[in-house]
Amino acid sequence: MTLQQQNRSDNNFESCIKCTICTVYCPVTTVNPDYPGPKQAGPDGERYRLKKPLFYDEALKYCLNCKRCEVACPNDVRIGDIIQSARIKYSDHRPSLRDSILANTDFMGTLASTFAPLVNFTLGLKPVKLLMDVTLGVDEHRTFPKYTSTRFETWYRRKAAATQDAYDRHVAYFHGCYVNYNYPQLGKDFIKVFNAIGIGVHLLKKEKCCGVAKIANLCINEATRDAKLNLESIREAVGNGMDVMLTSSTCCFTLRDEYPHVLKIDNSDVRDHISLAVRTLYRLIEEEGVKLVFRKDFHKRVAYHVPCHMEKLGWGIYSTTLMKMIPGLDFVRLDPHCCGIAGTYGFKKEYYNYSQGIGAPLFKQILDSHLDSVATDCETCKWQIEMSTGLPVENPISLIAQALDVEATMKANGVSVAPPED
Amino acid sequence: MKFDTIIIGGGLSGLVSAIESARAGRATAIVSAGQSALHFWSGSFELLGNCHGETIIDNPLGYISRLEENHPYRKIGTEGLQRMLARVPELLKEAGMKSTGSLQRNHFRLTPLGFIKPAWLTLDDYVAFDSDTVLPWKKVALVNIYSYLDFYPRFLEFGLRNHGVQCSMASVNIPQLNTLRKSTTEMRATNISRFLTDDAVDALAEKVNAVAGDAEAVIMPAVLGIFSDEPVNRFRSQVKCPVWFVPTTPASVPGVRCQLSLRDYFIRLGGQYLPGDTVKHGVISNHRLERIYTENLGDMPLEAENFVISTGSFFGHGLIADMERIYEPVFGLDLNVSGGRTEWYRKELYDAQPYMGFGVITDDKFRPSRKGETIDNLYATGALLSGFNALKEGSGAGITLATALSAAENINGCGTI
Amino acid sequence: MKDTSKDYDVIIIGGGATGAGTARDCAMRGLKTILIERFDFTAGATGRNHGLLHSGARYAHTDPESAAECIKENIILKRIARHCIEETGGLFVSLPEDGLDYHEAFIADCIRAGIPATEIDPAEACRIEPAVNPDIIGAVKVPDGSVDPFRLTTANVMAARQNGADIITYHEVIGFTRDQTRLTGVRVLDHKTHQESEIRGRVIINAAGIWGHHIAELAGVTVNMYPAKGSLLIFGHRINKMVLNRCRKPGDADILVPGDTICVIGTTSSRIPFDQIDNMEVTPDEVDLLLREGTKLSPAMAWTRILRAYAGVRPLVAADHDPSGRSISRGIVCLDHSTRDGLDGFITITGGKLMTYRLMAEIATDMACRKLGVDRKCRTAEVPLPGSEVTAEDECRRSHIIELSTEQKAIEERHGSLAGRIRTDDDADDALVCECEQVTVGEVNYAIEELHVHNLVNLRRRTRLGMGTCQGELCACRGAGLLERHDKCTRRSLQDLASFMNERWHGMYPVCWGESLVESQFTAWLYEGVCGLDPSTADASSTAPQQ
Repeated sequence: MTLQQQNRSDNNFESCIKCTICTVYCPVTTVNPDYPGPKQAGPDGERYRLKKPLFYDEALKYCLNCKRCEVACPNDVRIGDIIQSARIKYSDHRPSLRDSILANTDFMGTLASTFAPLVNFTLGLKPVKLLMDVTLGVDEHRTFPKYTSTRFETWYRRKAAATQDAYDRHVAYFHGCYVNYNYPQLGKDFIKVFNAIGIGVHLLKKEKCCGVAKIANLCINEATRDAKLNLESIREAVGNGMDVMLTSSTCCFTLRDEYPHVLKIDNSDVRDHISLAVRTLYRLIEEEGVKLVFRKDFHKRVAYHVPCHMEKLGWGIYSTTLMKMIPGLDFVRLDPHCCGIAGTYGFKKEYYNYSQGIGAPLFKQILDSHLDSVATDCETCKWQIEMSTGLPVENPISLIAQALDVEATMKANGVSVAPPED
Repeated sequence: MKFDTIIIGGGLSGLVSAIESARAGRATAIVSAGQSALHFWSGSFELLGNCHGETIIDNPLGYISRLEENHPYRKIGTEGLQRMLARVPELLKEAGMKSTGSLQRNHFRLTPLGFIKPAWLTLDDYVAFDSDTVLPWKKVALVNIYSYLDFYPRFLEFGLRNHGVQCSMASVNIPQLNTLRKSTTEMRATNISRFLTDDAVDALAEKVNAVAGDAEAVIMPAVLGIFSDEPVNRFRSQVKCPVWFVPTTPASVPGVRCQLSLRDYFIRLGGQYLPGDTVKHGVISNHRLERIYTENLGDMPLEAENFVISTGSFFGHGLIADMERIYEPVFGLDLNVSGGRTEWYRKELYDAQPYMGFGVITDDKFRPSRKGETIDNLYATGALLSGFNALKEGSGAGITLATALSAAENINGCGTI
Repeated sequence: MKDTSKDYDVIIIGGGATGAGTARDCAMRGLKTILIERFDFTAGATGRNHGLLHSGARYAHTDPESAAECIKENIILKRIARHCIEETGGLFVSLPEDGLDYHEAFIADCIRAGIPATEIDPAEACRIEPAVNPDIIGAVKVPDGSVDPFRLTTANVMAARQNGADIITYHEVIGFTRDQTRLTGVRVLDHKTHQESEIRGRVIINAAGIWGHHIAELAGVTVNMYPAKGSLLIFGHRINKMVLNRCRKPGDADILVPGDTICVIGTTSSRIPFDQIDNMEVTPDEVDLLLREGTKLSPAMAWTRILRAYAGVRPLVAADHDPSGRSISRGIVCLDHSTRDGLDGFITITGGKLMTYRLMAEIATDMACRKLGVDRKCRTAEVPLPGSEVTAEDECRRSHIIELSTEQKAIEERHGSLAGRIRTDDDADDALVCECEQVTVGEVNYAIEELHVHNLVNLRRRTRLGMGTCQGELCACRGAGLLERHDKCTRRSLQDLASFMNERWHGMYPVCWGESLVESQFTAWLYEGVCGLDPSTADASSTAPQQ
């Protein structure tokens, strides 16, 4: 028998050598003294929780799940996963009505987009905000993302679905709740770019929310159910020879890594087929000679913010490299820094100040950089930065779509199928 | 993805090679698996402080010929070391850090436990003595932050008193730190330094002035200036006597400062920094490393003309030990390890531990080999190398920097860009 | 140093569980008592075993008498030492290679000895203890548990002190004073001041474990003891919830005990010469054996980080009629040297096991009382130890334990009803010194002030500082800094720090691969590199008493 060849403790918690580097990079500890910090909440606490579950500390809820501790850890300890797994395993805190509302992005999205104008109007009203603050604990300063009246899925069926089979190659698109209910334009941009290079885009048979908000709010049964459904659809798409594309770094990270590490659902058979659109686009350009032709009249000064989960995926390099390919784009680098929203975390009244405190250095750098817009791959970073800086925030795919000379690109790639109308 | 140079490892050695490569106009990337041992840096670099039990003061480079034949310093030679190491202070300055020290003569640093040890370069704000017998002061004030545990005034006092310095001891508090103190785990140097900006610095200076008495200098834990010199300058301008810092145990403010400064400088030079990613394996053919594959980038490899491996020793996982063997995990490079685990250690902690001397075997240009065959475009640097015991020699940083600069020189000097 | 000009009724030599328990018993019976320890409490076999709260099942087949003693003491300890023990329950499991023959006889033997042993379905065993080898073919549930020998001994010392006993550590007995055939006192060497002095007592109890062999020699009598080394490995966290035993004739590496934050596999067994009892080394063969056999009990051991290896010495006592040493008793041996050797005022209590320390103390104290003509009943089985009392205040605090922070919970676990004595009024008191084991500044100060702490090793035994994953890397320096504030001898504190790190290394090098080697290298860089802790400092300390 091979003994002691490697350490296989859960989420590598025993690989921790107590170097304290994670605590240097945690964005929460300096704004919130009640949070014990990643080392204490993670590997140190885990030994005690294994001793007796009563050592679980509810203060673990202050963790943003940004995974910056994991990126910093020299020993590959999955500190964030340890903390989230402990919350799932030990917390007896049940999600409140507020938490359930925030967590059920797909259900709320369906409802809200149906009555979009009313909902958007109402959520913008000061008395309503105050009411939500007092009754639900959603901070009154928080600006809600607008809901769309035509969901992305509806638009897709009406305008895009018909032509997608005509392409030679195909991918599936996991659009996520945000594209569907709030911002269909990103989905349209993605299809615009991929169609222009000759790739048909298909929706999954069934798509549920990736579950990131449900995990954060400890709605674990629902998250697990949704995850299984999503994986079923993803397996079917992969079985049909399609890779699954995303335009949200957080959804992508959740499908690839939170499913196995936190929800303990095995996705190893399809994990490598789940990718961000920017990564796949880069691969097509580098490995297969796909060409993007850009318009001459596109000019923008844009700073790129690496979302925490993008940093964890390690794929920021694809977004930046693609953006730098756009001739009219004046690229500004931002320091790696958490924006503080962490999905639904920043919406909660009790965390609002922490959330803004964490993001403050980032906002300052953005405001000092004289930008036209900010680019990022995560929708919640987008809300936070837009609300806190007043600048528009766009997905790199949208920037590529705006700068793209569609006809010239189609021609360069020998594509003749007409793109869908908006 | 293609680069001219790829550096595996984002610690001191990797960053320095990368900076020199990027400065030469080469498209350069660093793949860094987590943060590095630089986070524990004392604020001083050592070159060679001890040779066969003798403490070195004058002309440390003169001792090179007395080192073992396969020692990295011997491979570079005295002339090469002169040339390369002279570059280090400039490089630090370009990255935003000022230092003092000379290659002709070691100075002395004050350790967190009050010991006085030879050093080559020390950051400007940190305690450095020209002599280990006559110290520059008669009387100093050792000032701690209230309830901060990683500063040891009484040990420092003991060390300084033995050198004829009279010390007063005090601890001070400012309200700006009360929030942080509520955390039982986070009252640590790097966190304190985040709070010590702007008016908190002024408040601290006032408190320090009140306890400094007639001291010629104030010595404090290194808890200021994690991101820039600004808080330190502001503080020093308000304290009535000179202020010097002593490093603290992990993670240290000078360590994080140095790591971030070098990383940012590299990125300013156009370098690509891939944090939190691990190189899994590489493809070697015809004595050349063609491409590497990483955990995060999956099946999309990174290609380069030249590669540098600076993954460190055991701490950086440049070397892995299991119950039966020690190996280099990325490429399976040849090591100087012989024997089973009983040969790796000595029973007494303070003996020279054999495992500390383990590392990859290279040619004179620091190119490692696999199964006896040299890989022509791969350079190994820093703690991953064999042939020295950095702790016993007081040579760790010097070797790390010299081999990093040597690799860069070899890369930049070979072929066109 | 206590006032040693006093005359004592009883002098007890040895600060292990037996010595401390005897001091408590003597003091509770109103005897004027002093306990003398050569180094520190629990420095010998008491601090170097499994920490298994035996149900007695292990001995049910081979030694029914010990088994009966164990289950009796098991029940008593659950009553009097609540904060030192954990009722984890235990399993005796049969692997295919063991067969079920022993298993059948085993249950009957247990019942006969009064041990509640229940056969359970192997599948049920895997459910209640997921860490057990899933290949098991038989399982028996017994009331095994874990006991913290450090805490237990400290509590006995505190109880002895509360009842008027004097306690001195770092005093070595180097000879006896006598009046014809009677011992009248001991000559002691103070390891701190290097001064010799005399302490007078009417009865002297030798409770020095294997070192009692030498004490007896000093007194001029012969007790034939044989040192048997047992090696154990400590894993980084609890793999198992319940004590796991192999259901077979007791052998090597067949017990895995969850204790505090870690778990321990052991033991091996080998006779060693007397000159090795103060510096035992765990050999690579022993490590291999423990792992090979241990993984059969719980496969997770094959990939769990090992923190350290250590070894203890059992004092095996040869029966008096057999000087060859072949006939060994594993039971309690209490020798009245007056009837045995014609030497009055001298008792040796030895053999036995941690589990039966209280009973050993009772037997020795009974004998001392007889000699002193005192007729008082032993009450050590009824009165709870300090920290294990049930008070209204304590109940109230414990009912709110869930609201406490992790380090406060850890303090509750370690100090039981005495937790309230640890200061928490200032945020500075709550700061963590040892992060792995959640030891705060307040707890360190309490230990220094109340629990006979003179160096980092003492502090480790009283608080668990430095016993965790990092083995002192983060906390040793901080601990030294706090100790120095009390001790005020900076040079000694630095030497103490240097030798503490060396002591930690001695347990680490036998298992120094994987993360343990990474940790060791990191620690060396910090202490020798950054801090410049000098080998010469450490050398100077090798003459100082460290255990």
